Amino acid sequence: MQTNTEADFTLDLRGESCPYPVIYTLEALEGMSKGELLQVITDCPGSFRNVPEEALAHGYTFAQDPVKNGQEYLFYIYA
Amino acid sequence: MKTMLQTIFQRHWNPYVVLLIAGILSAVYFGLTSTVWAVTGEFTRLGGDILLLLGVNAADWQYYEMVGLQGATWSRPDGWIIWGMFIGALTMVLLSNSFKIRLPQQKRRYVQGFVGGIIAGFGARLAMGCNLAAFFTGVPQFSVHAWIFIVATGVGTFFGAKLTKMRWWKGKPSLMRGAAKPSKVKTRVIQPYVGGAIAIAYVSVMIYFFTSGQTALGLGALFGLAFGILIERGQICFTAAFRDLFLVGRSLMAKAIIVGMAVSSVLTFIIISIYDLTPITQIAALSTVVGGALFGLGIVMASGCETGMMYRLMEGQVLFLPVFAGNIIGATFLAYAWDHLGIYNVLVKSGAKINLLDAIGPVGAIVSTLLMLGVLYALTVYREKSYHRHFELKRAVK
Repeated sequence: MQTNTEADFTLDLRGESCPYPVIYTLEALEGMSKGELLQVITDCPGSFRNVPEEALAHGYTFAQDPVKNGQEYLFYIYA
Repeated sequence: MKTMLQTIFQRHWNPYVVLLIAGILSAVYFGLTSTVWAVTGEFTRLGGDILLLLGVNAADWQYYEMVGLQGATWSRPDGWIIWGMFIGALTMVLLSNSFKIRLPQQKRRYVQGFVGGIIAGFGARLAMGCNLAAFFTGVPQFSVHAWIFIVATGVGTFFGAKLTKMRWWKGKPSLMRGAAKPSKVKTRVIQPYVGGAIAIAYVSVMIYFFTSGQTALGLGALFGLAFGILIERGQICFTAAFRDLFLVGRSLMAKAIIVGMAVSSVLTFIIISIYDLTPITQIAALSTVVGGALFGLGIVMASGCETGMMYRLMEGQVLFLPVFAGNIIGATFLAYAWDHLGIYNVLVKSGAKINLLDAIGPVGAIVSTLLMLGVLYALTVYREKSYHRHFELKRAVK
């Protein structure tokens, strides 16, 4: 598993169900300075799709491809 | 082969494809059985069964006389729809090795889920159907109550979304500085074997139903299984369809549902004309408006409706245990309140069963249904666009 860039913040959303992973992720990104890196750990299956899609739709970019880690996903998003 | 297996089990399926298939299957199920894909009616019966066990004879309550409370859940086709959906979802979760006990960090979610579940269960049964019989499978039956329900549900979810955004409701997430380690992944994979065993056992039961002449039960079990597989793999969420439009301008699920309903309507229309079947019409009354609004509010509070809750529970999302319990309690309380607290007299009695096929003729019915779905689609796209316009303005100012 490659984590070449060190995240500035981590949002640990394990256990949380939709829609809270999306809400929390977008809010965290909104509160960070441009260029900072957010790591999101989530295990709600619905969020595997709506978190990355909504981050992109809201104009944020990904530092690397999402990582599937067992029953959870890791996302690396630039604010 | 490996890539095919990966597409089926490792990825979630495209919601458009899933809802298209679900729309077709529900029309076929209606053609074969003259009943529709529904869940909350059976939830109400489960509540009645539990009351009977506790020594309360609910069978002579007016509501149970109307929906029927004969036999046990495994001798009712509607019951097998439910168990089939649970098994179908569970099998998919296990085969894709994605089961995990998921406990919400925010303990308030349990209370929100329980209360929301009660409100959603009560509202759904008051309106004679949840997101299925009064929505996804109600519109293709040309029952006017479904259209009233959709509008009322939209209003309810709007207020639910407002509530979701409040600080005391959503709670504070654990945002930490720096990077954190992900969970350790177990190297031994046993879930797919368990899933396979369950699938074989279930298929045996289905074969038994068909070979012993209990076709209605077999069909319920078969279609329930298919619906369970579909909603889990497609992560179909009617709650999200409305709520996420209001919350984050997300339109995928709403659009897919509308497309699925359009296809199902056309197919049901053809089936009704060819086989001369009577469409299933539910009463449209004040109760539909009140029930729909309560349902919309409840499903957002609970983070899932009666259908979405089923596969999430099978994924191991513990939050949906209180939601399930709440759904049954809410539906059963409605059955009690129906005659005992005068709900029927106040909200339902003045209503009427209206079907578009009778009211404005077959051509008018299909044309107006497709037209209304088109309007719904346009509204969805408009809401998504206006959300993103506002968001970009906000970002530019920042």
